[in-house]
Amino acid sequence: MRRSSELRALNIPIADELAKRSGSRPRVRPAECEPYAVAGVVPTLVFSPRTVAEASKIVTALAAEGASIAIRGAGTKSYRPPHPHALDVVLESSRCAGISNYTPADLTMTVAAGTPLHVVQETLRPYGQFFPVDPPFAAQTTIGGTLSAGSAGALRQRYGAPRDNVLGMRVCLGDGAIAFTGARVVKSVAGYDIPKLFVGASGTLGFIGEVTLKVAPLPRCEAGVAATFVRCEEACEAARRIAASPLLPMATTLHDGHTRRHIRALGSSSQPWTLLVRCGGSRSAVLRQQEGVIASMRACGAATIETLDADRLHFCWQDVVEAAGGAAYPADRTLVLAIGSLPTQVADVCASITALLPAAEITAHPATGIVYAHVPWPGAGDPSAPHERRLAERAARSLLEQFSAQGHHVKVLSAPVELGTLVAPLSQSAPVALMRRVKAALDPNGTFDPGRFVAGI
Amino acid sequence: MFDGLVQRLAAIVGPDHVTTAPGDLSNYQYDGSADSALPQVVVMPGSAEEVTAIVSACTAAGCPYVARGAGTGLSGGAVAEAGGAVIAMARLNRILEIDCANRLAIVEPGVVNAHISDAVRAHGLQFVPDPSSQAVCTIGGNLAENSGGLHCLAYGVTSHHVLGCEIVTPDGELVWLGGRAYDAPGYDLLGVFIGSEGTLGIATKVVVKLMPLQEDRRTLLAAFPTVEQASGAVSAIIASGIIPAALEMMDQLSTKAVEAYVNAGFPTDAGAVVIVELEGLRGTLEELVQDVQRICIAHGSREVRQARDEAERERIWLGRKSAFGAMGRLGSSYYVQDGVIPRTKLPEVVSEVAAIAERYGLLIANVFHAGDGNLHPLIVFDERTPGDYERTVAAGADILRACVRHGGSISGEHGIGIEKRDCMTLQFKAADLDLMARLRAAFNPRGLCNPGKLFPTSRRCGESARTVARGALAPEMVDAAGPAF
Ligand SMILES: Cc1cc2nc3c(=O)[nH]c(=O)nc-3n(C[C@H](O)[C@H](O)[C@H](O)COP(=O)(O)OP(=O)(O)OC[C@H]3O[C@@H](n4cnc5c(N)ncnc54)[C@H](O)[C@@H]3O)c2cc1C
Repeated sequence: MRRSSELRALNIPIADELAKRSGSRPRVRPAECEPYAVAGVVPTLVFSPRTVAEASKIVTALAAEGASIAIRGAGTKSYRPPHPHALDVVLESSRCAGISNYTPADLTMTVAAGTPLHVVQETLRPYGQFFPVDPPFAAQTTIGGTLSAGSAGALRQRYGAPRDNVLGMRVCLGDGAIAFTGARVVKSVAGYDIPKLFVGASGTLGFIGEVTLKVAPLPRCEAGVAATFVRCEEACEAARRIAASPLLPMATTLHDGHTRRHIRALGSSSQPWTLLVRCGGSRSAVLRQQEGVIASMRACGAATIETLDADRLHFCWQDVVEAAGGAAYPADRTLVLAIGSLPTQVADVCASITALLPAAEITAHPATGIVYAHVPWPGAGDPSAPHERRLAERAARSLLEQFSAQGHHVKVLSAPVELGTLVAPLSQSAPVALMRRVKAALDPNGTFDPGRFVAGI
Repeated sequence: MFDGLVQRLAAIVGPDHVTTAPGDLSNYQYDGSADSALPQVVVMPGSAEEVTAIVSACTAAGCPYVARGAGTGLSGGAVAEAGGAVIAMARLNRILEIDCANRLAIVEPGVVNAHISDAVRAHGLQFVPDPSSQAVCTIGGNLAENSGGLHCLAYGVTSHHVLGCEIVTPDGELVWLGGRAYDAPGYDLLGVFIGSEGTLGIATKVVVKLMPLQEDRRTLLAAFPTVEQASGAVSAIIASGIIPAALEMMDQLSTKAVEAYVNAGFPTDAGAVVIVELEGLRGTLEELVQDVQRICIAHGSREVRQARDEAERERIWLGRKSAFGAMGRLGSSYYVQDGVIPRTKLPEVVSEVAAIAERYGLLIANVFHAGDGNLHPLIVFDERTPGDYERTVAAGADILRACVRHGGSISGEHGIGIEKRDCMTLQFKAADLDLMARLRAAFNPRGLCNPGKLFPTSRRCGESARTVARGALAPEMVDAAGPAF
């Protein structure tokens, strides 16, 4: 990495040169760059390319200077640890936006990566379609950011994850090379399925310029069922029965009392756990799903069961997605963990979290085995109880170790500055050497966010 | 040639599981494509550790190697073009674990596709990808080719149904990509491994997802005066928000051939037939059936027939699955092409295919996975007629050119392998291929793992004269209904 002071000295000539060559003038003044800070670290330069070709010119010039580049969408993942020590350049995608192709009957849409997800959804809706992912920060997140973060919401239960709904991409690699990978049709096995590599890579392999998405028809009808349970295990058992049945609902989420409070449409409950099932399909299918879901909930000992019509369900869902590592929690003051486990392990994972971090607030996707824990954290400047904070930090670290040792897939999605080095240990059989070589192949100079991916990649 | 390698392999797997006998080797020279090459040695590991040792021994000896499942691949993937070792997965055929509560199974790569669903059906579960070769093809081959099947339209192809796999890397390391649970940290190496045609390493265990069986299904057969009208109906069904479990189309040449072969009840005076299969909960499908009927009639269908019982349904599918067997009777050989187009382009591409048939003086029938725009034009030719063979390959290449021109892909499910590697340049520019080459080098730096596949050589697309499917498939590759693709 280039020393920031050096880069700042250079930045004016570079900026001028790049403005000439790429047509994109960077932000150079600290005040202009501050909104693009990553975990409080302000970059020296901020570039906003309009196309992947512009991005390539910028990357080529900066890589030659030895600068490091962090790629940014809407910036909703800025507190993902490890936090950077210094930051040369932010390459942000907001001007690289727009929908270039959409043929409803083909179920495909090609969009520039900086396009906000909600714009994509609003374009699709009049045609009775949607991009079937429900990541958090729904109001801000960009397509490129959603994919780079790999954030799958509860819709994965029926529709698969973002990786399963991406067909092709145009990317700029670490040496400035521009490549198209994948295809623009719904089915293709020509060549390696490299788009999947960029999904979840947190921008460490290249800049995604344009993406072809596989979209889906919106179900003709939707409705929900919400039930409360005394015991977490009962709720999880109900979720598993539903998922193993032919009902095929769209999604299932589980909330403790804290995360339930974020769901305005539900109101409060005296029971500790709430299971929410989103049903969708033809009118008769939705009725059958609701019946079957209610029967499973009842058989598993639900304390209360209520049905939700489509409007109330959608109002619920706005909050549900934000209560899973999303806008319900301030990123700079919350530790957010995501644990990938098996459906049968969800209740144990929840219990382990609460045992070590009693303040944790939990949302889970019990049909797919994902648990999100949100631990409120006082700001670093907060003088209160440093001792308790240290204890909590120790508890968080041992929780991560325990989960990794149990074979769960653990990620720290977000952490306050104080915990900026907190990362989950990797399992023994993780293909670290291969990942390093893949990184070196696509980003040979280590330009994109060096050291900030798993295993220090 | 590879000094002492055979002895080392024998020491790893035991002498009974290595062979260099010419008679044995010749059993491994083909897959389901026209390409063939003799390996120098065939080795059959019995465990992941043995695969690791084999890969290390081959690497030390500088010997190329290729994994082989059932050898039903249609693009030459399992053919040891560079000689060397074939690592046959036949002994790695155990289902190691079935976890119904978590809806997953862990299997060895040599397990036959259909055996997974057979093993879990009693629990109301299934492994969804159902290539027509499922009675023999292996999960390792499915993974390598990212295979699809008739019922992948609604539920996705192999990559949607695999959670993880243990692989031996070409460096001889045993690692896990993905796992039992979702969201393994780091790059999605599982995602790129699937569909990598055996060029990035050898899978030794596979975690597959299991899906609940559906309660009910309805099968409809709609006849249309023209392929254009049938295509319009297909697009309209999808645009209306209905994603059937299967949505297939056959043109008149195919239906006529089928009716002369098996009695499937296809109307042979129709320009095209469309088969729609809807799946779902009992008592919920009527609404969708009516919509599909209405759409078909609005697009000119004269007749939409619903199978009244399982016997009639089976007859319809028998007809679909017999298409290629039936075509095979029209000439001495046939060549199955596999291309994809945006489904709204079906009418244009179909008329281009007809023009290509005319230009080359060849008979081309069309069978489509219409729901996802995957074409399987079937070119009939006579091996004994000089020049027929070359024209067939050239016509096949022209069809791929048409697919790419319309924004599509040169393969929907059969893979690139040897057969289509020189056509990769139709779809990908040098920089795109370079990205793939970088990835291959990251996994497979010495290039010994299934060399020569997938990447273009110096030949032109359509020039390589060997890439013609053999007319007759080995009987064990074909289920009772005949090959269906
Ligand atoms: C009659 C017939 C019908 C077919 N229908 C369909 C269809 O409907 N849909 C479809 O998609 N395909 C179809 N195919 C193609 C073929 O069956 C599939 O590609 C299948 O997945 C190949 O499996 P296999 O076990 O025969 O693999 P093989 O042909 O033995 O090998 C295929 C590739 O997989 C690699 N491989 C095998 N095992 C491993 C392993 N353990 N690790 C890494 N790489 C490995 C090989 O090196 C090779 O590159 C059909 C073929 C036939 C003959």
